[in-house]
Amino acid sequence: MFPYSEASWDVVDGAMFIGWGTALPGITTFLAIVVCIAVLVIGGRTEAAKTKKFDS
Amino acid sequence: MEEQIAALVAKVAELEAASVGAKITNAMFAETFYYLTIPLMIIIHAGFLAYEMGASRMKNVLSSGVKNILAFAFMIPTFYFFGWWVYWGFPTGLTFSEGPAGISGAAYASSIALGWGESAQYMGPNIADQASGVFFGAFALFAATTASIMSGAVIERIQTVGFIVLAIVLGSFAWVVAAAWGWHADGWLVTKFGVHDFGAAGLVHAVAGFFALGVLINLGPRIGKFNADGSANHIPGHNMPLTVTGLMLIIVGFWGFLMACVIVPGEAWSWFADKPSTIYGTPITLSALSFNILMAIAGGIIGAWLLTRDPFWMMSGALAGIISVASGLDIYFPAHAFLIAFSAGLILKPCADWLERRGIDDAVGAVTVHGTIGLYGVVMLGVWASGYPALQGAAGDTPTINLMGQIIGAVVFFLCGFVPGYIVSYILKMLGMLRIPKGAELAGMDHVKVPAESYPEWGADAPITPAE
Repeated sequence: MFPYSEASWDVVDGAMFIGWGTALPGITTFLAIVVCIAVLVIGGRTEAAKTKKFDS
Repeated sequence: MEEQIAALVAKVAELEAASVGAKITNAMFAETFYYLTIPLMIIIHAGFLAYEMGASRMKNVLSSGVKNILAFAFMIPTFYFFGWWVYWGFPTGLTFSEGPAGISGAAYASSIALGWGESAQYMGPNIADQASGVFFGAFALFAATTASIMSGAVIERIQTVGFIVLAIVLGSFAWVVAAAWGWHADGWLVTKFGVHDFGAAGLVHAVAGFFALGVLINLGPRIGKFNADGSANHIPGHNMPLTVTGLMLIIVGFWGFLMACVIVPGEAWSWFADKPSTIYGTPITLSALSFNILMAIAGGIIGAWLLTRDPFWMMSGALAGIISVASGLDIYFPAHAFLIAFSAGLILKPCADWLERRGIDDAVGAVTVHGTIGLYGVVMLGVWASGYPALQGAAGDTPTINLMGQIIGAVVFFLCGFVPGYIVSYILKMLGMLRIPKGAELAGMDHVKVPAESYPEWGADAPITPAE
């Protein structure tokens, strides 16, 4: 929900994004970091498996 | 005393002169801002041109290019003739009445958007009106983008004139109606349901994507695309590097597209004197755009790479990433935009495969990238931004953003695209104007109708695909 008492941007003078003032920005940032790391790990494993076939 | 009064008068005159200067500077800035979006958006067309020619087999490369170039050329004058009028005339629905903001309805549209009579003063060079031409230019390029979105899906078997008719219906009418309803301060989807689609995920991308689906149903697949048992063959384009580079050019052009969605401050037609806004009058910053577009591109690419490892789908994932958050680029948090774009990149290929299994031959995945992901983006904003202002002065005046409103908007955008796409292509099919004859398709459209060769030194050694 809009984090101000009145659903109007007139009452906002600063940060203006979904979740400002809640834990959402921190949670999404953490999840984005996890996604980046997980994708690299998964990508590295599958690439290694594929290249291994040509290693003999 | 007199000296002091004289000094004050001089000071006032100086301030007034400075004020006039500032107004001129701001008008120049506003004019230049939109003017620059036009060449940036033409880069989208350079991208679509490269992308579609690369996705075509060698025998159809140039005809795909001709189709794309000609669509651009017809889009501009037809948008001038009636598309601009439709945008201003249709916002309140089929009543053509004036809306609460007083900038809509048939009478208003006829006073500013027709190329004859008194209205013509706003449709040509005018010292007292520095805005109309650059606004028209930006909107005409939005129109041309919709035609290019449809263009890629139908390559290698559509008739040129039939395609141009479809492009005009889509670019100068269908999406414009959706824009009038959902991307205008008087639009009924906005004022009645709180629809918010800042970057046109629904009203440009979904409309164009599902218009293409309606056409594809009547057009049918390319010869050789499907086997007798219904399984699909992959028909590779002749030049994947060209296709991928084209997709990257589209991404470049998107910055102009989204920049043109911003209303600059300080002009008579601006929402604010001191801050930029969305077309709905809600505040936005270019900083928000930069944060969120970049994170969305990254998220879309990473999601598509995880699932496909294919550069075509990775770059399509970049597009899908932007489109999936376009509705809320003004209010998403960057990491949030990244995650939504990542999910769009993940679902992209399975959605395209699902469509293919139903016998739809979408040569470049346009229905999925623009249509499905466009609607996904519109609905996602309803999930995350419920309660946020949809329009300037939202409280009490207009519904705030809400999930049901976004779903209604998504359904309307789907219908605005699919229904005219299906009906007009059906009529063209009945008239024999939709698909080229089988012999010409097998011979190759370049050989049949283009008086030039794409690669004259290659000879007859081009790779054979299952469809040849």
